[in-house]
Amino acid sequence: ADEWDMPTPYPDKTFHTQNIIQFAKDVEESTKGELKIKVHTAGSLFKHADIKNAVRGGQVPIGEFFLSLLSNENPVFGVDSQPFLATSYEDADKLWKAQKKVVSKLLDKQGLMILYSVPWPPQGLYVRKEVSSVEDLKGVKFRAYNATLERLASQMGAAPTQVEVPDIPQAFATGHVEAMMTSPSTGANSKAWDFVNHYYDIRAWLPKNVVVVNKRTFRRLDKSVQEAVLQAAAAAEKRGWEMSRQETTEQTKVLADNGMAVHEPTSEMLKEFQMLGSQMIDYWVSEAGPEGRAILEQYNAK
Amino acid sequence: MRRILDVIYTCGAGLAAVFILGICLLVAAQVFMNLVDRLLILSGFDAVGLSIPSYADFTGFFLAASSFLALAYTMRAGGHIRVTLMLHQLSPKWRHVFEVASLLTGGVLTIYFAFYTGRLVWDSFIYEDLSAGIISVPLWIPQFSMLLGLIILSISFIDDIVCVLSGEKPSYHGKGEEALLEKEAPTTMYEGE
Amino acid sequence: MELLSTVFLLILLLALLGGGLWVALSLMLVGMAGMMMFSSAPMGDVLATTVWGASNSWALAALPLFIWMGEILFRSRLSEDLFSGLAPWMGRIPGRLLHVNILGSGIFAAVSGSSAATAATIGKMTIPELSGRGYQQNMIIGTLAGSATLGLLIPPSIVLIVYGVATEQSIARLFIAGVLPGLLLVILFMGYVMIWSLRQPKENLAKEEVLPFKEKVNRSRRLIPVVLIISGVIGSVYSGIASPTDAAAVGVLLSLVFSYFTGSLNRKSFIEGLMGATKTSCMIAFILAGAAFLTVAMGFSGIPKSLASWISTLELSPYALLFALTLFFIVLGCFLDGISVVVLTTSVIMPMVEQAGIDPLWFGIFLVIVVEMSQITPPVGFNLFVLQNLTGRNILQISKSALPFFLLMLVALLIVTVFPEIVTALPDQMGG
Ligand code: NA
Ligand code: NA
Repeated sequence: ADEWDMPTPYPDKTFHTQNIIQFAKDVEESTKGELKIKVHTAGSLFKHADIKNAVRGGQVPIGEFFLSLLSNENPVFGVDSQPFLATSYEDADKLWKAQKKVVSKLLDKQGLMILYSVPWPPQGLYVRKEVSSVEDLKGVKFRAYNATLERLASQMGAAPTQVEVPDIPQAFATGHVEAMMTSPSTGANSKAWDFVNHYYDIRAWLPKNVVVVNKRTFRRLDKSVQEAVLQAAAAAEKRGWEMSRQETTEQTKVLADNGMAVHEPTSEMLKEFQMLGSQMIDYWVSEAGPEGRAILEQYNAK
Repeated sequence: MRRILDVIYTCGAGLAAVFILGICLLVAAQVFMNLVDRLLILSGFDAVGLSIPSYADFTGFFLAASSFLALAYTMRAGGHIRVTLMLHQLSPKWRHVFEVASLLTGGVLTIYFAFYTGRLVWDSFIYEDLSAGIISVPLWIPQFSMLLGLIILSISFIDDIVCVLSGEKPSYHGKGEEALLEKEAPTTMYEGE
Repeated sequence: MELLSTVFLLILLLALLGGGLWVALSLMLVGMAGMMMFSSAPMGDVLATTVWGASNSWALAALPLFIWMGEILFRSRLSEDLFSGLAPWMGRIPGRLLHVNILGSGIFAAVSGSSAATAATIGKMTIPELSGRGYQQNMIIGTLAGSATLGLLIPPSIVLIVYGVATEQSIARLFIAGVLPGLLLVILFMGYVMIWSLRQPKENLAKEEVLPFKEKVNRSRRLIPVVLIISGVIGSVYSGIASPTDAAAVGVLLSLVFSYFTGSLNRKSFIEGLMGATKTSCMIAFILAGAAFLTVAMGFSGIPKSLASWISTLELSPYALLFALTLFFIVLGCFLDGISVVVLTTSVIMPMVEQAGIDPLWFGIFLVIVVEMSQITPPVGFNLFVLQNLTGRNILQISKSALPFFLLMLVALLIVTVFPEIVTALPDQMGG
């Protein structure tokens, strides 16, 4: 019998982690204990930034990470984090189908195989003051932690500001940052109502986590065990997308229940955001080259 | 030879100090920009979001560089902590045995560590790993500082092993800060930690 | 089997440390032994990856800067001024300037998130001054070892951030919740120093001169630079132009400016201070790296998890559970550093805690007090290492001096258990 250590970046209560814990149980049951997966949550084994390389080097056989963390290595990893490209679960699914082949090929070169991928709920806008148009975001200090968000901030006329995750509450409290985009899950889990009042459900993008295995380790498993892992992964993907949808409504309600003003954006505001998005995707294509163009073409085809 | 080695240790430490200075300057520059932004807002303008891109990443890299490049120098200055309580109870002969054993263990471990750090750097290099922030930095560059520091520490261990085996005192002998000890009779604790 | 191997690892650690191997390397070797026994993962690669991950950390970047700030102040006249300014006022308070260690650490804790940085910065300034003025050395060490741990309880705090992230508690609330327990500890420590001092024969105590009021005020002017530096650092954080990590750089710059104007900054003292900081922060970073690898090795081994699961099978009442966990954490805290204890165990412990109906916010503060205690228990305690580095005393002597303060923290644990409002009152004000 084999035992696999599996590092994951997010805490136990995050739905991604819950899904992985269920996945590990499924694998253990369906292989009758032939393969056990020990889940190490919340970055307790490897830091988020090191998880991919730890799996690549065979330090652990399996792990989870945030896919667009790799977008500096190749822009196609980050297509799901392009603002206002895919803004619903249906579109996100279509985009994943277009993106998966390219991403799998790139990860394969590093000896990694994708088991499954689950999106976060759509990203919303958390802002201190009420806004009715993109114009209102001008000069607002907007949290940017990667190149895409920095460009988005500049396009909106906002002031891109760097804040590390643990410093977010204090940065809002002191006015060092005034707006950020993240999912209702992350907002609710970090009790965003303690430091920010308004939430706009603008559904900017649905970024994904992926679960990868080390190819060599996977191949060494018995055929029947391999099959069981793949089946459990397929089930986890299906379950994860469903959990993510549920999470969207539930956690948005949690935000409202705790006194945040949850706004539907006006259609005018959405149109402006869409415009920004299409400008940004043009830039993205110029960076991502033919592979990127192919993904977009497949995504846009009906 | 002695001179060349000492220059290596000092250069490592000098670089390490420069990196700490670098952290300070980088962070101070960012705070200054925040202040400018704040003043702009107070005088009725919009914030422009003045910032040093990826400055948190850079500070982290600088910290790692400074920690590892100073390893050998700190070791030789008696800066690394060890428990010498038991050693002081031993006869000079046995103390010598334990000193050699500690140096050998430390040396082997450091060389082992340096070897695997070399592999880490090499992997980052051939896979072209990049940092995830606004500015993408090839990871092998900051990781190389860790490798360099461990190599210098390995050299320092070998240096000390040779010294001790040829009957001299190790480099860290009698060093280290002892702010309180000098006020008391230092008879029982003349060996530095 | 697991119990036997755990005992073996503990004995190995004690043997390596006792045999005189450097602490950081001892921690690494024990981690390697643990991985060899419990895991088939490639040890050397894991060592390199985890040490790299632990060393390039933004949150730790404040550490060398705060230590440097202490070095600058130590080399300037500013730390002497601090004591000359305070001495006339504290002459009548039992314990006199020993309280500077406690209050200084408490105030400094409001900008620094780690207890090692607090011990190194405050200790660098106060140890030579206090021992020069004739205070008892074990009290100097004890007050410093104990109160520097406040760096973890009074916000900001690295451990509270780690706990908040791992358990999805609001970090803002955790920070606020730490304030009153932090003050409670300050009061307990000061109270102890006073009682201790009153029970000492007069000739054992350091003398401070008694001055007329006007002269007292006059001397207090010397406090102005230090007060300005402290308020500059705190102000930069609370006005939002600096994150808690950034604040350390503000502290260094202000200290440089003031020591320049008091004439104590020159090329030589600048370089000496910087090199001193380089050495001390290298020492701490190396031990942290060793501790990080040991933590990961323990994660692979599953030892802390199975110990914690064993506690959960006992199905204890809430108070009995807290008692058992306290013992468990104190024992773990002897051998692992505080952050590791939180990282390794929360995932198993939190379900138990929540099932017992214990408020996770309150438990976070409870846990941090226990983690604070682990900073001063031998053989692995960061404040002990910092103080050994500053004083040249050995770890057992230092932990003996720190023992009363360890016990006072136990008292604080008891008090917050009986009166949980000390923790929850302030965060409850936040509403929501
Ligand atoms: Na603090
Ligand atoms: Na301890």
